[in-house]
Amino acid sequence: MSDQPDRDLLAAEYVLGSLEGEERRDAEQLLAADPEFARSVAAWQQRLTPLAAHVAPVVPPADLWGRIENRITPAAPTVSILAFRRQVRFWQATTVGALAIAASLAAFMVLRQPEPPRVAMLSPLAGGAPVLLATAERGGGLVVQPTAPITVPTDKDLELWALPQGETRPRSLGVLPASGRTLVAQLAPNTQLLVSLEPKGGSPTGQPTGPVLYGGWLTTVELPRG
Amino acid sequence: MSATAHAAEIDDTEALLHRCAGGDRTALRQLYDRWGNRLHGIALRITRQAALAADATQDAFVQIWRQAHRFDPDRGGPDAWLIGIVRYRALDIVRRQSREVPGYEPEKIEDASPDALARLVSTAEGAALRRCLGELEDDRRRLVVMAFVDGLSHSELAARMSVPLGTVKSWIRRSLISLRECLAS
Repeated sequence: MSDQPDRDLLAAEYVLGSLEGEERRDAEQLLAADPEFARSVAAWQQRLTPLAAHVAPVVPPADLWGRIENRITPAAPTVSILAFRRQVRFWQATTVGALAIAASLAAFMVLRQPEPPRVAMLSPLAGGAPVLLATAERGGGLVVQPTAPITVPTDKDLELWALPQGETRPRSLGVLPASGRTLVAQLAPNTQLLVSLEPKGGSPTGQPTGPVLYGGWLTTVELPRG
Repeated sequence: MSATAHAAEIDDTEALLHRCAGGDRTALRQLYDRWGNRLHGIALRITRQAALAADATQDAFVQIWRQAHRFDPDRGGPDAWLIGIVRYRALDIVRRQSREVPGYEPEKIEDASPDALARLVSTAEGAALRRCLGELEDDRRRLVVMAFVDGLSHSELAARMSVPLGTVKSWIRRSLISLRECLAS
């Protein structure tokens, strides 16, 4: 603290609440990025919070708890999965581009491994072209790559989930940077992959809490013969 | 509230936050029952409009639910953590309003009551803050209290006190330095 007096004062002003414009944005960015600054903010909150004792309590509107509850209750997965299955059949039947990507991948994979590869094209549940390609590798690796630009709000993360056929509770495979990543996961043959929008760092509950944005079934690619 | 009751409330709130982090929605409901009125009062004081205050309180409880696992008792009490969340959500909303809504004028606020500090005694920390605020000059103490309690920005404070923006900024910085030294002693 003593070796960074300016930062500690910025933290104090941030907690006081009087910053505006660029100064306020600078403080918010520091708060997210700099643990020392976050400690300063917490210390100033502790110092100044007794001032809040001065504020008279007010009963919130009667419907407010219901609005909060709606936002913290995970969406029932069955509804979106049914919608999603229709979506998969739709693009399997119609999206030549997606099949072309899968086929070219299969041609590449066939050189490297004798087993038929398994891939999943993850498409927006709301409809549209696939945005992520997941490839299961023989050793249990799962390579997830974007096939279209994905924008994630800075205070959110995408989280990848596996839902084997017949099961109702998805299992988290981890947070997914928009740039894609390689995960280690043993996946049953008929597994659905889902991507939900979660708070930074992933779902706090172990189950999806935000909207399920993308989904796709992991399917075996038929290799070209001859 | 007595010091013992205050300590018991802090312990209970910490336990409820811990249960929220484990995904127990009934714990959030209990936090809402216990803290909803206080947090909503703070949101209303800063936003000065019922609809904006409801949005701020709603956002705050959703954030409390999602970030309960990040609460760290080593860094401060759960009351400071909860109040911090609702204040930042309310400040986000009023700063956005004044930036994005053409002609937006915040509702007028009543003058800070002369005994604004009188309630700062329910805890030892409150008593220390009161003593240290008491060492500031009257104008500067008013600035600090209005910024924290009413959520006024530097430029709103300058307009309200009829002093230049640079003066407000420097008064606030010097007041905060004095508070830091006084509270550390």
